[in-house]
Amino acid sequence: MTTARNRLPERSGEWVDRSSTVNFSFDGTSYQGFEGDTIASALAAHDRWILSRSFKYRRPRGVLTMAGQDANTLVQLPDEPNVLADTRLISNGLRVEGQNFDGSLENDRGAYMGLFSKFLPVGFYYKTFFRPRGAWKLWEPIVRARAGLGKVNEKAHHGYYDKAYGWYDVVVIGGGPAGMAAAATVAKAGGDVLLVEENVQLGGSLAYARFDADGKKADAELSRLKAGLDGVTVMTGAICNGWFPDNWLPIIQGNRLYKIRAKHVVLATGSIEQPMVFHNNDLPGIMQASAAQRLIRQYGVKPGNRAVIATANADGYATALDLKQAGCEVAAVLDLRDQPTNGAVVTAARDNGIPVFAGYTAYEALATKGNKHIRAVKSAKITGRGECRDGADTFECDLLCMATGYSPTHHLLSHAGGEVGYDGQSSMFCVREVPDGITIAGSLNGSYDLDAVIAEGCFAGWTAAKAVGLKSGRQPRVPNDRGSLNQSHPWPIFPHPKGKDFIDYDEDLQVRDIQNAIKEGYEHIELVKRYSTVGMGPSQGRHSALTSVRLTADETGQDIEEIGRTTSRPPFTAETFGVLAGRAFEPVRHTAMHHRHAELGAQMMPAGLWMRPAYYGAKADRNAAIEAEAVNVRTNVGLIDVSTLGGLEIRGPDAAEFMNRMYTFAYLKQPVGRSRYVLLTDETGVIADDGVACRFAENHFYVTATTGGVDNVYRSMLWRNAQWRLDVDVTNVTAAYAGVNIAGPKSREVLAKVCTDIDLSAEAFAYMEIRTGTVAGIPARLLRVGFVGELGYEIHVPSGQGEALWDAMLEAGQDAGIRPFGVEAQRMLRLEKGHIIISQDTDGLTIPQEAGMAWAISRKKPYFVGGRSIDIQVARGVERELVGFEIADTSVPAPEECHLTVRGQEIVGRVTSAVRSPNLGKTVGLAYVAPDQTEPGTEIDIKIDGGRIIKGQVVKLPFYDPDGARQEM
Amino acid sequence: MKILNCPLNGPRNISEFICAGEVEVEPDPNRCSNAEWAEYIFLHDNDAGVVQEWWCHVPTAYWFIVERNNLTDEILRTFPSTEIFTKRQEYSRPDQEAS
Amino acid sequence: MSDATQAASGATATLRRAFHYRDLEKAGATFKTVTDASVAWSYGDGQKAETAAASTLGIADLSPLPRTGYKGRDIAKWLTKQKLKVGDASNQAYPCGKGSLAAKLAPGEVVILGAIDGSDPLPEKLDAAWTDKNGLCFAVPRRDASFWFMITGTRTSDMFAKICGVDLRPKSFANHAIAQTSVARSNAIIIRDDLGKVPAFHILSDSASASYMWMCLLDAMQEFGGRPVGLQTVLSLCK
Repeated sequence: MTTARNRLPERSGEWVDRSSTVNFSFDGTSYQGFEGDTIASALAAHDRWILSRSFKYRRPRGVLTMAGQDANTLVQLPDEPNVLADTRLISNGLRVEGQNFDGSLENDRGAYMGLFSKFLPVGFYYKTFFRPRGAWKLWEPIVRARAGLGKVNEKAHHGYYDKAYGWYDVVVIGGGPAGMAAAATVAKAGGDVLLVEENVQLGGSLAYARFDADGKKADAELSRLKAGLDGVTVMTGAICNGWFPDNWLPIIQGNRLYKIRAKHVVLATGSIEQPMVFHNNDLPGIMQASAAQRLIRQYGVKPGNRAVIATANADGYATALDLKQAGCEVAAVLDLRDQPTNGAVVTAARDNGIPVFAGYTAYEALATKGNKHIRAVKSAKITGRGECRDGADTFECDLLCMATGYSPTHHLLSHAGGEVGYDGQSSMFCVREVPDGITIAGSLNGSYDLDAVIAEGCFAGWTAAKAVGLKSGRQPRVPNDRGSLNQSHPWPIFPHPKGKDFIDYDEDLQVRDIQNAIKEGYEHIELVKRYSTVGMGPSQGRHSALTSVRLTADETGQDIEEIGRTTSRPPFTAETFGVLAGRAFEPVRHTAMHHRHAELGAQMMPAGLWMRPAYYGAKADRNAAIEAEAVNVRTNVGLIDVSTLGGLEIRGPDAAEFMNRMYTFAYLKQPVGRSRYVLLTDETGVIADDGVACRFAENHFYVTATTGGVDNVYRSMLWRNAQWRLDVDVTNVTAAYAGVNIAGPKSREVLAKVCTDIDLSAEAFAYMEIRTGTVAGIPARLLRVGFVGELGYEIHVPSGQGEALWDAMLEAGQDAGIRPFGVEAQRMLRLEKGHIIISQDTDGLTIPQEAGMAWAISRKKPYFVGGRSIDIQVARGVERELVGFEIADTSVPAPEECHLTVRGQEIVGRVTSAVRSPNLGKTVGLAYVAPDQTEPGTEIDIKIDGGRIIKGQVVKLPFYDPDGARQEM
Repeated sequence: MKILNCPLNGPRNISEFICAGEVEVEPDPNRCSNAEWAEYIFLHDNDAGVVQEWWCHVPTAYWFIVERNNLTDEILRTFPSTEIFTKRQEYSRPDQEAS
Repeated sequence: MSDATQAASGATATLRRAFHYRDLEKAGATFKTVTDASVAWSYGDGQKAETAAASTLGIADLSPLPRTGYKGRDIAKWLTKQKLKVGDASNQAYPCGKGSLAAKLAPGEVVILGAIDGSDPLPEKLDAAWTDKNGLCFAVPRRDASFWFMITGTRTSDMFAKICGVDLRPKSFANHAIAQTSVARSNAIIIRDDLGKVPAFHILSDSASASYMWMCLLDAMQEFGGRPVGLQTVLSLCK
């Protein structure tokens, strides 16, 4: 184990807990850090700086921001790729690996890629691999192997992820000085306020930056502001990853996604320090000044031993003081400005003997072998915009801090429709327009003076409190000078003849890549982005947008203030699929008899949200079980759970009129005590659902609907009647009724044992009639139906007593040899009877005439939904019709659903259902054929698996018991 | 996520609702031409600007009407459908007296 | 055959039971007959632990208990005829009878929850009095259509915030307010009906989803230490 030679003495306020050590490994080497250390900070303490290799040239990369804002720190965990090493905390036993290398991170066999950079020009994907034709096929596997970041462990343990809603008067995003001040103000006004901070601790810049000469102000203000947060709900380590309409905020904290609704939002998201552009500006050891400050203040880690600072603002000088205090020698401060501003911090730096070179820049960084670390900085005198004269001092160093400007973290504001432009005066992106319902404060708003930032936070809180109707008190004052100027240098870009002057670290893009993209005609900023891929990597342009806009303006001669910037969309940062998925809520509906099916060994299958028994018995015996169940219905008696059928009560004086308008058949004269088939078509005339209508009273129909269709049928009934205004009430009672169908020649004798208050004789209770009575003492609705083609009764009872009904029926049928049958046997039986199943034997275009259902349409009524559309289509002529077919030769394989019916090369239709029927001793099925093929006896060609053509013969439906004698007995 | 103010249930996340498209007047199916009927079924105005739409609060299956500016996605008003559909709709066949 | 099977096919076949009574059995419930219903009365690990849970977060199954519902344009007239004072506002519950609650879902829809101790005969009386001669006013079999759970305790709204998009915090959602919304992707009716000082909510939803919802709720309750509690415990909170 190496020693943590860069660890500084403990200081109060740091984020690590020195009393608690944590052991982890990186690339196979063991390290020890402290609780609260990030992977990157713990490694930095051990002087280990290379965290990854770059995407294209495999260049070593290290700490850049220490704020989770760059792709340099992406590392691999056993179960998780692309983890940000500078924000992910270490834990005991954590095994961390690098990404994007062959061999080892320190010695990558792919590093030679850098030598080829001349041959990997901008747009190289588009240019290189697509010529000659077919080249991509050759290149793709190679590119794919090299592309992408990290590895997904497909065997990773499934974590527990979930979501939660939340509601607040005001949500403040950003726990820096502005955000804390805003939240405190809202709480003081009595508001319900949430403060969201991305880092594990509050503070923002107060947690790392220096605002005064002796470095005490930040701590003092932080304590003061924290103390004011009484009544504020604080979430740290939480990232608001987007803004959605009506202030809907997705906030990720750990494995939970909070979906927060705010009446008003205060954005105090701060700003992101921007890198400079010069030769080798990506070497490990070159970082943002704020990153060096974070290492020192938050983690107690010395970022280097001898530093050079390139700056254009006071923060560079503050960093110099911090470094010096941490025991790091400061070789030089290169101030890009000819005339640096004065101020307490600048003066203190000079007073501390730190050498300052005004009008100078870092022009070139020199690397140790293999580009593993910076070893020196070549400085140069600036002679013009982006130009400098070589030949000035070279400073040996192991750290270069860049402090030449900021860019507002405008992303959430942009999601909300806020406008961001470039302000020439401050040389920064600035917010031009803030949408309603949002207030901004702090450096997002271009404010950098600490007192002004806090005052602005108070003002934003006051504004928010007022907006949500709280007593907000007197309007706070905000100073006029908010410190916007002298923060950002207008042109910290120094292109180098040898390139490696990176403007986008994620994508290894250099100055000339942008220039070339524009030369090739991609002049609009959105086109520059797409062609060059600038800003399209994991850090989403947080460090490249500003430079690319500046370069684009320069190359095209456009006004930088007018050029705009690329669109920013959610999410702000990468989010895992687990977070998006959360708990998988998949409602499952059980019938009242569900557990009885399980006890009987049923194989369950989903039907819509319901679970239904497919058949009873072991999977290995599937076909035999289905066959035996079906044969038992035909010869004996079977029982099936039909509880999943939809049930709708249509009640009121206009009940029959309503039925007449909804469904295709005629219902006005349907006698009480009888049922009638219902067929529902949509407005285009396409079959949508079917069932039966039972008229229990003049004003009362009980209508069944298909298992999967009932919710839509119910909704569309209510929608229709919102327009028709008929005197009728529609109620969905699907879950209120359980039901069974007892079917088979012995069903009457079995039912008679448990149903004594209804005359079950064929004369008294005929086919298609309905009755109410009791079955096994349970109040029941009885329907004589014939779906499976045998004598049978559907019995509908209150679902609370469904299980009792099931038990009673099985018991009553024991002597008769009753056995339950499942959906598969039922499908076979109904097919033998030629009954269609909606959406299996029909599709999204089937009108009744195509499915042989013309008989179910009443021609005498003035209207039903879909009627006019059907008339028009029938007049035009249908192009296919559903027919029954049989294949007598059982040695021929049975066709399957969706096998095509063909005529020569022409497709005329498809098989919709087919089964080898044990009851009929042949294969039967339904298929769409051409209208001239519908005559019984016509031979049709069916193309089955492997392209083989088999012959079927059209026959008249039904296949079984054509006179219906068995179901009507 | 947008909030939609249901006349029955008050403001709710819009994920509780479905939209059934613009409120359109059905032509008399027994007297209009094929072209008029086809237009009603298949062609929608798709006007840019303020439109009236059918929305349904799914948990209560409650249908109502939303006035929405589809250029800005601003919801201007929501109201019960009885404001527009005030009386019983009648149909009659061509050989019967139109009511 | 298990005990449960015997119960179903034997003499107690007409006793109402929870739709997911097996889940309750698995959780260790002991059952007690209340009116015509077999209700999860306690969970056998001591009244004290249950009461503590019910005050922070408990879930009780009331599914077998009496309730009914009416639907149609003319329900208000009929309810008045039955001398029930049900206000005009929808999504509002009105105490009625002796401990029953009339939950008005819409101008044309009401659910009558019987008193949770089963003592109020109001639901049965209403159903017995109902005829089809009351204009558009029709009975809805609420006892079979919906399960009925009661969730009690101070953490109820925190738990609901994980599975329901409506703000049910006591300060936003008054006692006797109703939300008809989506809970864990199922349509549900939520009625706040505090038990003394303890926040409490009824939840009614599709009876066929009882098992699914019971599991979802228990899962959501876990982080707050929530657990099933018996009717006995819920009744003790009322006192």
